[in-house]
Amino acid sequence: MLFNSIDFAIFLPIIFILYWFVTNKNLKAQNILLLTASYFFYACWDWRFLFLLMFSTLLDYYTGLKMCGVQDQKAKKFWFWLSIFINLGFLGVFKYYNFFADSFAEALSQLGVQINPLTLSVILPVGISFYTFHGLSYVIDIYKGRVKAERNFVDYSVFVSFFPLLVAGPIERATHLLPQIKKKRSFDYSKAVDGLRQILWGLFKKIVIADNCAFFANEIFNNSSDYSGSTLVLGALFFTFQIYGDFSGYSDIALGTARLFGIELLQNFSFPYFSRDIAEFWRRWHISLSTWFRDYLYIPLGGSSGETVMRIRNTFIIFIVSGFWHGANWTFIIWGLLNALYFLPLLLTNKNRKNMEIVAKSRFLPSPKDFFNILLTFGLTVLAWIFFRAENIGHAISYLSGIFSLDLFSVPKFPGMGKALSTILLILFFIAIEWMGRENKYAIEKIGSKVSRPLRWSFYVLIIFLIGMFLETEETPFIYFQF
Amino acid sequence: MKQFAKNIVLFIVFTCIAYPILISISGYLLPQKLSPNINYRIGSYGHMYTRLNEAKNFKGELDVLFLGSSHSYRGFDTRNFNDLKTFNLGSSAQTPIQTNALLDRYLDKLNPKMIVYEVYPNTFTSDGVESSLDIIANDKNDLNSLEMAFEINHIKVYNTLIYGFFRDAFELNKSFSEPIKKGEDTYIPGGFVQRNITYFKHIDYPEKDEWKLNEEQIKVFESIVKRIKDKKIKLMLVYAPITSSYYKSHTNNAYFDKFITSHHAEYYNFNTMLTLNDSLHFYDSNHLNQNGVREFNKKLLELIDLNKK
Repeated sequence: MLFNSIDFAIFLPIIFILYWFVTNKNLKAQNILLLTASYFFYACWDWRFLFLLMFSTLLDYYTGLKMCGVQDQKAKKFWFWLSIFINLGFLGVFKYYNFFADSFAEALSQLGVQINPLTLSVILPVGISFYTFHGLSYVIDIYKGRVKAERNFVDYSVFVSFFPLLVAGPIERATHLLPQIKKKRSFDYSKAVDGLRQILWGLFKKIVIADNCAFFANEIFNNSSDYSGSTLVLGALFFTFQIYGDFSGYSDIALGTARLFGIELLQNFSFPYFSRDIAEFWRRWHISLSTWFRDYLYIPLGGSSGETVMRIRNTFIIFIVSGFWHGANWTFIIWGLLNALYFLPLLLTNKNRKNMEIVAKSRFLPSPKDFFNILLTFGLTVLAWIFFRAENIGHAISYLSGIFSLDLFSVPKFPGMGKALSTILLILFFIAIEWMGRENKYAIEKIGSKVSRPLRWSFYVLIIFLIGMFLETEETPFIYFQF
Repeated sequence: MKQFAKNIVLFIVFTCIAYPILISISGYLLPQKLSPNINYRIGSYGHMYTRLNEAKNFKGELDVLFLGSSHSYRGFDTRNFNDLKTFNLGSSAQTPIQTNALLDRYLDKLNPKMIVYEVYPNTFTSDGVESSLDIIANDKNDLNSLEMAFEINHIKVYNTLIYGFFRDAFELNKSFSEPIKKGEDTYIPGGFVQRNITYFKHIDYPEKDEWKLNEEQIKVFESIVKRIKDKKIKLMLVYAPITSSYYKSHTNNAYFDKFITSHHAEYYNFNTMLTLNDSLHFYDSNHLNQNGVREFNKKLLELIDLNKK
């Protein structure tokens, strides 16, 4: 069941009505409803993997209780490592086994030894990277004494499986989400309206921006050898907006949906393409994953304290692991590596925390210096996305060499140029709205809040109209579902 | 919560008014590239506008009504059926959903004694969007159009229908007139479209394919057969000739024949009954040229005569 599907448009109001009208008097009933709805939502993808989700939930719930219940440090360590081992084991088997088997065989073939690796023909359970990281953060937090084990199995299961975040995040923390699940929730008008508004903006990002950009990005990336350098640049730009519209659109729908049920999820995006350096970009892009790696990998490794060599090592580890988290392909590792290289000068000159606030705060336009920095950061990001999107390293390199060719300054040419012009206009509209709303949680949060209701509603209908006018006819899955 | 529910209802009402206004304005003012999900092309292809105008002005009763896809309006030449009073209500890529909508509008008006319904497997595999847009743009829209749109359930059909209602309401098509001759095509009164004679360069289809019939189209097709039978109108189902190479490139032709015959109506698959030459009798992979039409209609007329007896 996709967020941008008719099925979800039916599913959501039904759960909403049951939640606020039938189970509203009883928190336990509300949580059971959320859990049932979440399992149904997940089963719509593939019911067989529901058992994997349940097992993962049960494992972390049980090991959490065990860790809390023992005084002996050795026993605590045992349960901790058991959970880590099984969680990462599942992730390793489903997501990375074939990659390692193939890479190993390829490495041997370079040495002249030919082997036929045993690969598994299994599909990747949707959302496994997300719910595994949920569980891991919970187990690590208990081990570190940051939270106490949750005794109520239903509450814990809702924390892991809450349907808005189940398949593509945001990656929640027990310290943030569990207390909300355990607290009685009452209907809040402004929260619900805000939720609907964020869902609308998420749908716009996904349906209008991402899906329309995807059409051209796919065409250009899939036939990159046929196109001029300028067309390849345009293809990379289309993918840049596709991935942002797709993933941040998903996050907006997830956050908006959760807010309809009185639950606040972690913000996942904060206008990353207006960043003035790469450090700022990573504070604004997939925030829940970046902070997860910061808290559970970077800081335990020593973070940015200690010797320069250690800081550099930690930076490379976190970016490479982050790249690898996205998928079992060398392209993601190079993408991570490239971002580490971008980040390194900032780290070494202690400028990585220079731009903490949103650009041009309380001003309409950025300063020329900020503007230049935004363009530079954006350009570097676009370059890195080429590796993220390419089929393999060879493809990425040939794509890049295609860009830096003599026809870089020619007029771009590809099938559907006319349609591409309307997509470019939509992107410009999108950038303008994002710029106007950059000081808020999401772009249209406050837009129109000071004008009369008919005018504000007209703006929302305009967004609905653009969705209706530019909706691609096939429902397109979200990119991050594969991770 | 009360306030929330009230505002939701108000917003839905507001959207129901504002959205059609925006669609109408953009359909009227913007080029197709900037309004991709409105596809209103009056008089676009296959002379549908002229055909429906003729149907609207028809008086009396028909001996034979032809229905189906472009194989119908390019395959059943109404001049080839001697003294039988015939009309061709075929339309481009007409799927059972559109056939049903056209029957809703024109069956009583045309009042045929017999219906020859051209069944092309491709139309059973289609979502029916293309043909719906053709009908919306070339006919006056009514509740049947809305029903058809719900059955197709496609944003392009909804938007185009809204724009169609707008054009109908303001009579924007009043001054439109479709030329009888358009490019290679000439409209023949009675609904047939004649293509200037050209020959098809035979090609082989190396990849085998399967017809995958759409459940919704099957359901509607069954209701059409039942409806015609209930009205006691004679029904003949016809699979019009396509090139033999194209026909043979599909592996489950027998399955399609079996599916059609299971509806207990007279069925003729002309791909197995007629021996036509791919190059001499077709102008593309699945449309007969005028020589092919003549051969096809001759055989069909024999069957109709036989059926009358």
